[in-house]
Amino acid sequence: MKKSFAAGLLTALAWAAAFPAVAAGQDKYQPPAGKTPRTASGKVDFSGVWAKAYVPDMTQDGQDQKGAGELPFTAWGADDWKHYDAAEGDYTGACLPFGMTRSINTPEPMQIMQSDRYFAFLFEQNSWFTVVPIDGRAHLKGIPTWFGDSVGHWEGDTLVVDTVNFNDMTRLDTVGHPHSDQLHLTQRFSRPDLGHMSYEVTVDDPKTFTRTWKNTRTFTLRADWEMMEYSCEENNKSLWEGRIKVPKPKG
Amino acid sequence: MSLKRFLIGAGLLAALAQPLVAHHSFAAEFDSNKPVKLTGSVTRLEWKNPHIWVYLDVTERGNPLHWQCEGGAPNTLTRNGWSKDSLKFGEQVTIEGWQAKDGSNTCNLRVITLPDGRRVLAGSSAGDTPTTPKP
Repeated sequence: MKKSFAAGLLTALAWAAAFPAVAAGQDKYQPPAGKTPRTASGKVDFSGVWAKAYVPDMTQDGQDQKGAGELPFTAWGADDWKHYDAAEGDYTGACLPFGMTRSINTPEPMQIMQSDRYFAFLFEQNSWFTVVPIDGRAHLKGIPTWFGDSVGHWEGDTLVVDTVNFNDMTRLDTVGHPHSDQLHLTQRFSRPDLGHMSYEVTVDDPKTFTRTWKNTRTFTLRADWEMMEYSCEENNKSLWEGRIKVPKPKG
Repeated sequence: MSLKRFLIGAGLLAALAQPLVAHHSFAAEFDSNKPVKLTGSVTRLEWKNPHIWVYLDVTERGNPLHWQCEGGAPNTLTRNGWSKDSLKFGEQVTIEGWQAKDGSNTCNLRVITLPDGRRVLAGSSAGDTPTTPKP
């Protein structure tokens, strides 16, 4: 089919309008500059929508991410990792909860809301959340869960979130590094200035690893973003059509 | 001048700054040893979480084939300039990606070459395959 030069030009301009960020070629966003904000009670204020480093593999370095390198597997951990095959079952593909580390690892943003007693971490990925009390209470002794049981406390201007009581249904990252129900996470959040958050997660799991290891990352405040709904179940064709399998429960 | 010739002359290549998808492991569904390149006519763009799906009619050796290709999540694609109107019925596009492991006409969508010749990323999850060898 022949079209005139003018028609072609109009089509090209329409496409440029349809993909403004693509046409720009790169994201030129700069976070707001300024001092670390504080709440009325003088604590560091982490409130905001944050762009996180995307970490599909926690052993690797990436943009705003320092990975752990080779992991110190126990025999049990090495065997689990050796035999893991996502094609035999992928819980995230089945829209089951990602768990703590994989929710933090996703490229989708995270909003933090806080009071003097609680922190709420709102993950856009699948619209999940976790609420962390910071009032000095001890861990619950309840049923193991996907996101575990978290309690927080302040160490100076750093928020420390300590999480235990995980089930063993999740993986640490998208490539599938394993953990057990003995997983213990320590996450440390600090905000050196208005536009950035420093994040460190330490992984302790004596069944899976012979020693602790960690990742360090930088998150960026996205003052121009609002959180959006994300329904994983809405159109999960790959599961419904049998190309993704639900993992079998561990014995 | 044909539209195709005019637009190829534009020669634009664009890349997105953000990774686009993390819903599931690439290896759970797709085969990195089965790259595909499909040119055809868009029949539908499904704009729903957890992934967009592009439906394409392709003619291969004279036979009509229906393909479906998975892209990124609508939320992140929206933040990168896509919309539910970004691909329209009947538009000719070329899709590069990887075929599903089950051999069906299903692919993971890495790059779309738009009618104006630009190549845009569409949210492949292929970056999540392990980079370190297993023991």
